[in-house]
Amino acid sequence: MDNIIEVRHLSKSFGDNEILSDINFTVNKGEVVCIIGASGSGKSTLLRCINLLEKPSGGEIIYHGNNVLDNKHDVYAYRTKLGMVFQQFNLFNNHNVLSNCTIGQMKVLHRSKEEAEEVAMKFLKVVGMDQYINAKPRQLSGGMKQRVAIARALSMEPDVMLFDEPTSALDPEMVGEVLAVMKELAKSGLTMLVVTHEMGFASEVADRVVFMDQGVITEEGTPEEIFNNPKEERTREFLRRILRDAKPD
Amino acid sequence: MTWKWFIKIITDYWPMFLRGAGVTLYISIIGTIIGAIIGLIIGTIRTIPQSDNVVKRVLMKIVNAILTIYIEVFRGTPMIVQSMVIFYGSLMLFNINMDKMFAGIFIVSINTGAYTAEIVRGGIISVDRGQFEAAHALGMNHIKTMLYVVLPQVIRNILPAMGNEFVINIKDSSVLNVISVTELFFQTSSITGNVFRFFEPFLIASIIYLVMTVTVTRILRFIEKRMDGPENFNVIPGNQMQVARPEDLVKKPGKTGC
Ligand SMILES: Nc1ncnc2c1ncn2[C@@H]1O[C@H](COP(=O)(O)OP(=O)(O)OP(=O)(O)O)[C@@H](O)[C@H]1O
Ligand SMILES: [Mg+2]
Repeated sequence: MDNIIEVRHLSKSFGDNEILSDINFTVNKGEVVCIIGASGSGKSTLLRCINLLEKPSGGEIIYHGNNVLDNKHDVYAYRTKLGMVFQQFNLFNNHNVLSNCTIGQMKVLHRSKEEAEEVAMKFLKVVGMDQYINAKPRQLSGGMKQRVAIARALSMEPDVMLFDEPTSALDPEMVGEVLAVMKELAKSGLTMLVVTHEMGFASEVADRVVFMDQGVITEEGTPEEIFNNPKEERTREFLRRILRDAKPD
Repeated sequence: MTWKWFIKIITDYWPMFLRGAGVTLYISIIGTIIGAIIGLIIGTIRTIPQSDNVVKRVLMKIVNAILTIYIEVFRGTPMIVQSMVIFYGSLMLFNINMDKMFAGIFIVSINTGAYTAEIVRGGIISVDRGQFEAAHALGMNHIKTMLYVVLPQVIRNILPAMGNEFVINIKDSSVLNVISVTELFFQTSSITGNVFRFFEPFLIASIIYLVMTVTVTRILRFIEKRMDGPENFNVIPGNQMQVARPEDLVKKPGKTGC
């Protein structure tokens, strides 16, 4: 299979605090991989290590056969190949919707304004935000902001999209619109690595689910294996807790 | 009678007042703009994240030390004293006879730069970390992140403080009279020498200063509003929607989105 990213023995410490240890997994082309796990288990840190927003303490990240942790590797070029969607949206406050989606294309990929706008419009349509191109981020609802943030990342035409709990900061009534967009993207064959607490989403669209606990991957498998037949006690415990929280009655 | 003198001095000497006010405005505008640019550059340098490379780290330490000295020296000494030291110092030590106007702009600029550097640094630190991370995630380096994402927000945020600097420069450029820059205070002093009266010429000067500072404050407030853009945005109707949601149907063109 065609793997895009291969993480080998990755570790990360903040000071003496080891947050990630010996993480191994791959993301293959066209796959949707969901990372689940309790709060503080290191999911965000893992995602941030993958696009080098955090510097890993050890291990390798192989992208198309090259270790991106090599000093010689071009970090900036590598990052353009990974689209990142943050929990807090992080839309550029000084740009409107359209220019949020064009600024990276123009200034990093050196596309012309016309080309950048064409690409941006294509993806703003995909997320259903093409009517709002003149709006500033502060004028949008959370769900709308997150859809624009997805379009912004897609506009760079990355190899793989990284989502860090894209719906966790949203009011419940806006979660659906963002998940709907993500499901569309998954169906279209986009490679996605998604940290999520939305078990419904994970079981529906994931090709593989990775369960993390206290900085290590304890279990990995298809959604059926993880959700219906978890081997590890910690996975079972986590799922029991999260399902109980989801349905209080 | 004072009032008669007042009118007479204005009618006789208005071109001198006007020229003085012009020089004052000119020096303050250019000085504030150059100072702001110096401040933005220094603020950007001082927020470069620590490098892993030892050589670069040492280099940054040295640069930062120099910048700290610059800021401390110019914030810690009066501009009137700096004017004397710089103007006569360059003449004595380097045999450079500075153009008066140039010297004036130079002194106001580096002073403003020293103050603005700290204002800018505060402004950069107060921009949400998520803005930096989103820019980095798109593949922008520190310079691009600063230019296209962070500094525009910083500039908007420090505009009130810069307006303040501008007003201060209009007033404090009067100290440049000690090196004979022909700004408003200098001109007014010359006029007193001709008419042998002090009260009326300086009353006129103070009115002119007040008009300049109030006008500048108003203009800057207007620019701030302009930079914030319109409160409303237009929904562009008629585009094919892939996913239609109820909220899209509710939103009418021109309605505020908040
Ligand atoms: N910059 C940092 N410095 C020190 N510790 C950090 C830093 N960032 C994260 N941590 C620690 O690393 C651990 C894992 O954090 P992380 O955000 O990756 O967890 P998470 O699985 O994403 O949790 P959540 O579901 O709440 O988002 C936490 O204990 C956190 O306190
Ligand atoms: Mg997290």
